[in-house]
Amino acid sequence: MGARQRFVIPLAEIGDTDEPLVGGKAARLATLYRAGFAVPDGFCLTIEAYRRFLTSAHLGDMIRMELGRKAFGDLRWEEIWDTSLRIRSAFTAAAVPDEIASEIADAMGGFPLETHWAVRSSAPGEDSSQRSFAGLHESYLGVLGFTPALDAVRLVWASLWSDAAMLYRFEVALDPGRSSMAVLLQPMRNEPVSGVAFGRDPVESRADHALIEAVPGLCSGLVDGEVEPDRWKLIRSTGEVLDYRPGAREGDPSNLPLLENAHLVPLARTLAEVESLLGWPPDMEWTGRGDRLTLLQARPITCPAASSDDRKAYYLTLRPGKERLRVLQHRVVDELIPELEAIGKRLASEPLDEWSDEQLAAALEERLAALRRWRQIYRDDFIPFAHGVRRLAVYYNDAVRPEDPYEFVGLLRGEPLLAVRRNEAIAALANEVGSNAPLRDLLSRAALQTGHDPEIWKKGLLEELRRLPEGGSFAGRLATLLEEFLDIAYNTERLSDRPDLILHNILELARAVGSGQQQPLARGSLSGSLLEERLMEAVGSDRHEEAREVLALGRISWRLRDNDNLLLARLESQLLRTIHAAAGRLERAGRLERGTRASENAAAVLMEALRQPSAGPVRLPTAEESGKTMPTAALEETPRQLVGQPAAPGMQTGRVRRIRTAQDLGQFQAGEVLVCDAIQPMMTHLVLLAAAVVERRGGMLIHGAIIARELGLPCVNGVAGAIEMLHDGDIVTVDGYLGIVTVGAPEFDLELADVAGEKISGKSGKAQ
Amino acid sequence: MSTPDGLFNNERVAASQDTLDEQRPASVRIRRLLMEQGYAILCTQSQSQPYGSLIAFAASDDLKTIVFATPVTTRKYRLLTECEHVALVVDSRSIFPSDMMRIEAVTATGRARAVGTGTEFDCWAGLLTARHPHLAAFVRSQSSALVCVEVLRYLHVCRFQEVRQWVPGNAS
Repeated sequence: MGARQRFVIPLAEIGDTDEPLVGGKAARLATLYRAGFAVPDGFCLTIEAYRRFLTSAHLGDMIRMELGRKAFGDLRWEEIWDTSLRIRSAFTAAAVPDEIASEIADAMGGFPLETHWAVRSSAPGEDSSQRSFAGLHESYLGVLGFTPALDAVRLVWASLWSDAAMLYRFEVALDPGRSSMAVLLQPMRNEPVSGVAFGRDPVESRADHALIEAVPGLCSGLVDGEVEPDRWKLIRSTGEVLDYRPGAREGDPSNLPLLENAHLVPLARTLAEVESLLGWPPDMEWTGRGDRLTLLQARPITCPAASSDDRKAYYLTLRPGKERLRVLQHRVVDELIPELEAIGKRLASEPLDEWSDEQLAAALEERLAALRRWRQIYRDDFIPFAHGVRRLAVYYNDAVRPEDPYEFVGLLRGEPLLAVRRNEAIAALANEVGSNAPLRDLLSRAALQTGHDPEIWKKGLLEELRRLPEGGSFAGRLATLLEEFLDIAYNTERLSDRPDLILHNILELARAVGSGQQQPLARGSLSGSLLEERLMEAVGSDRHEEAREVLALGRISWRLRDNDNLLLARLESQLLRTIHAAAGRLERAGRLERGTRASENAAAVLMEALRQPSAGPVRLPTAEESGKTMPTAALEETPRQLVGQPAAPGMQTGRVRRIRTAQDLGQFQAGEVLVCDAIQPMMTHLVLLAAAVVERRGGMLIHGAIIARELGLPCVNGVAGAIEMLHDGDIVTVDGYLGIVTVGAPEFDLELADVAGEKISGKSGKAQ
Repeated sequence: MSTPDGLFNNERVAASQDTLDEQRPASVRIRRLLMEQGYAILCTQSQSQPYGSLIAFAASDDLKTIVFATPVTTRKYRLLTECEHVALVVDSRSIFPSDMMRIEAVTATGRARAVGTGTEFDCWAGLLTARHPHLAAFVRSQSSALVCVEVLRYLHVCRFQEVRQWVPGNAS
């Protein structure tokens, strides 16, 4: 067929050799259609249309720039999500060329005006027996009218660059020149039952068994894993049912099977016929039963992952659908977070010093097990639940179509985060210090007197504070801050063991407030309520309830994403407390060298030692064994410009202060550029002092980015090598508009030969 | 039928090569670019007026020197005699004409001097003509000058805005 520049091909006209033009899904459906199977009529928008769209809107260049910012393997999934969101926004904003739009209009004109359409992806090479992109590319159902259809087509095209699709093929060079997407448009069939059918049992790989699953209504709930199906296992040759498992579904108490034998037999027969036609046992989507049975899709059954690196299943949990988010919300909000909070409190209240060796060993065991369990929960539930805020982003952007795809972040402002409450407590103490000279002097002295037992030091400080006029209240609030907010671990150290660090921060904040150095609040950003109004107006009154639900869930997921980090860090802190107690006891018994630094990886050895009092000296694994080693930058070169993601706008120059250990937290001075792996919830108060933020970890929705936006500070994140290539005291200019960190003064002598040792003006050289 | 898995495998190799290259020190990437590309933009100046010219060049093994030839009648030669401070720009646009993010560029800054006759001339002329054999007559013409640029600093740019500095001789 003359396939050159054909943008639309009716399903009935798709030929045997057209798969590269129309994608696998459309090509196979056309084969079934031609063979006389019941397949909804429709038409396919070819990859030529996609490519014309890409070219006309210069989207290929845009994608290359987005993906070329750094090596794909260095991108965290948050950054991939951000990249995907920006690409999606560009796709939705781009005009579909007139010649394509008019061909779509003509093709739709052949169907009744009130037709509801299914708009589905059909990417060439999308599915094979080894690799399936099922569920990674988007489909839109029930689309009514030309403009919504055009919008849906754009979104299907954009889903070629969805986070999950890109993550799944991360090892592939994601070249826009070599990726393409056709789109299939078919009138919807609204049948009471739909499902999938497998020509082989894909779980047990039994060649003689077939599997049929059915759900009420549309198939999408089943494909998304949101509706539990009725499931039948059959003998392929006879159609005899071997096993039936009803699906548990809300609002369906009758639990009657959705299919009867009279429906199963023709389905099994169709499976065999499709296999005979296509040459492989199919994974088939269908709708309607009996003589209304219609085929929606047929693809090869994907073999169970041959290797464990097929992480598609996990990627898919990172974009849970509406139903799963609801379930997660209930589990996370009502069960997990309160439980985690209660465990942290209980562990903190346990008098370890009074316990026997055996009890202490049991306490270690319990904390270690708890931490393992909660880290798994963090991965399985908390991270996927965080998708609630991403769903809000997509919902807001689709409705409002803002110029800035991160405008929705304003909707999250003012959430009662634990970290915000902690920062407010710190700011209040700093204000008081600023206006009370004796208090300031006392704290300044205390902050310098470190090195002995923190408990004794803390007790002494609080006693001294109470002797000051009005010091009693300050001491009380400082003690509360330490107990309520600083019982957390950062990089193997308990912050509650280092109250001097927070004193430094309070003093520095007091100084900065006094000298007017504290950062101003965000300028010019839209208020949350205004954005909310904008969203409601855009969706229209009949969708207000839905919008409010998305908004509420997004806000909760954002709040908990912050809090869960702090609560988990409290658990880590309690494990460290127990480790330190155990190490102290063994030291006193002469079994452990005095001053040995015990970190999390020492727990198992300490447990064993406590349970065997007669055993000899104990050797702990060194902290380094569990820690990451940072590569050092090549000595002979120096960075001039480091590139990351422009996470918060603005431009500032300042000296670098790297935060790598708890000790570094106390060193931070007002006006410095905060450089770290990632701003953790326990260090957000430092951002109040910073001139700018640079992070290795990237993402527009990670703490550093959000807080910097709130405070109106420039932030560049996702800077690979930020920690290794920048040094304390380096002068850097952080360009939060473009995502560039320029190292060294703007002016430097090109002819100074020794780059490493050159005296860039303002550069202080070695780390302090 | 298309063979997606075959495609994936080939692309995976290409992607992993890119990643490997990414991790190489700037000096290695600069050397590769200078060896790959035979032409550079020479930037000269005089009385506050910058001037750019395309030249065929060769670089010494230690990358401390870049050599090229020019007729003595040219504007660039006259500007060189007036101001020895020059810059050279080499880039890989020709390899990746449609993908800006994969283009690399090197700016070399340094001082230029004309090479007299004798052993030194033979040595540098040999280096240049080994790289550009068709320029042998041009290089040895009575009306040409052989110019050596002592490179003081290289700036390597990749991914549009990622910049690293390297001083030849500061080897690890």
